[in-house]
Amino acid sequence: MHQQRRARTLFGVLLFVALVLVTIDFRGGEDGPADRLRSGVTVIMRPIQDGVATLVRPFGDLGGGFRDVVSTRAENQRLREQVTNLEARRSSSVDLERENRQLRDLLAMQGRTELETVTARTVALAPSSFEWTITIDVGADDGIERDMPVIDGDGLVGRVIQVTPGASRVLLSIDPNFSAASRTARTGEIGPIDGRGGDPMVMRPLDPDADIEVGDELVTSSYQGGVFPAGIPIGTVSEVVETGSRLTREVQVSPFVDFTRLDHVLVVLTGGVAEVPPFEGTEGIEFTRPDVAVTNEPDAADADLDEEDTELQDGDDGGPDEDADADAERGT
Amino acid sequence: MSLGRLLVTLLSVLTAAVLQTALFPALTLLGFRPDLLLLVVLAIALREGPASGAVWGALAGLLTDLLVTQAPLGLGVLVFTGVGYGVGQARPYLAPGSVSAPLLLAFVSGAIGTAGYGALASLLGEDRVTSTLLLQASLAVALYNTLLAPIVFGVVRRLFERFPGPSARVD
Repeated sequence: MHQQRRARTLFGVLLFVALVLVTIDFRGGEDGPADRLRSGVTVIMRPIQDGVATLVRPFGDLGGGFRDVVSTRAENQRLREQVTNLEARRSSSVDLERENRQLRDLLAMQGRTELETVTARTVALAPSSFEWTITIDVGADDGIERDMPVIDGDGLVGRVIQVTPGASRVLLSIDPNFSAASRTARTGEIGPIDGRGGDPMVMRPLDPDADIEVGDELVTSSYQGGVFPAGIPIGTVSEVVETGSRLTREVQVSPFVDFTRLDHVLVVLTGGVAEVPPFEGTEGIEFTRPDVAVTNEPDAADADLDEEDTELQDGDDGGPDEDADADAERGT
Repeated sequence: MSLGRLLVTLLSVLTAAVLQTALFPALTLLGFRPDLLLLVVLAIALREGPASGAVWGALAGLLTDLLVTQAPLGLGVLVFTGVGYGVGQARPYLAPGSVSAPLLLAFVSGAIGTAGYGALASLLGEDRVTSTLLLQASLAVALYNTLLAPIVFGVVRRLFERFPGPSARVD
């Protein structure tokens, strides 16, 4: 009886401690004591998780291999579809390159076609069933900053949400808290894309009558002052769901990245390939969206370009204010 | 609790956390991983009663809180303490030597613990957890925990037999 009372008291005290911790976390906000504590644990756990991950990865691969053998038929089908999509992606890339070349010539801007990246190894995933984050083995010492995009050979992986000197945590793009600006590669339809805790992701086109078909490829876009460089592959449309309302439509997207096999990733240190920097001397020039995103004279030396020549017929580029916001968001 | 038992229990909780974050991401079931920390808390509570269940539940919950980024700190402590205490309280009502009862508890605690954590994360934190995701995760984790329960319970039982502590049985 005495032990029962003791257990009950202990239980009450621990629940009280839990509520105090929740309150401290809420009041602390970003970079509060809770975040600092988490950073400390990441620093301590990183080498342990790194060592264990190296040791147990063959077992994980074995399990994954067995699962693959069981589902060989489905995998074959998926790979065939992937080949088809890659063929389509190659053709859309050629078109994008041509368009990019034209726009650069038109604006007399030096194109930023290379992304400066840092290679990182995945050390661990979050233990929660409701959080899709990974810990990577690079941090502030390697030039990593919060909100930097993370990609791999297949496409968009996520963005950095916590940085310590030697490790960082990355919010994966399938996490329900993840959101990014996106557009279809074929038609340029834009809309935010959100994670749903696994496959598929969901994109909501801004135009409910947008021309989007199953198999269309989605890439990141720089509209809405997004933090991601434009043009990073996200996934392919697997289903277009008509909702009850005529004002919205849900597009389900299968990501290119296999999030169960994230081994090495790239953290993008530089800005986007198609980001247009803030313009100077734009007084008196009208900006029209969405068809005409930017009208500008980029340089005094190139001032003889008239207004019509400098219009970009690309619906996803934000105006200068949005680009300035994007830069401010990244802290640049 | 003897020092040996204390260290072994602490090591079990830490090992579960490391395996859950480093090994099981590659071994998912229906896209979800088991909750090894919850299973270890369950095994401790079943052997030692509600007081130990609550204390080690709080520690495992704190570890979970520190290894996640989105959910508020203290949420794991709240849920794991509740599961540890609840299972410890249910222990006197289980038939001694029963095989099915611990497995049933593993399933039920996995489902309740996961659903409770997800629902509270959605209410208190910034997590946008949909009801579909909540249901899928709860069922998948409950199933995975039930499959792994014999292994985890067996390991914890062997460790506790090797490092015996004073009985904390509460009837």
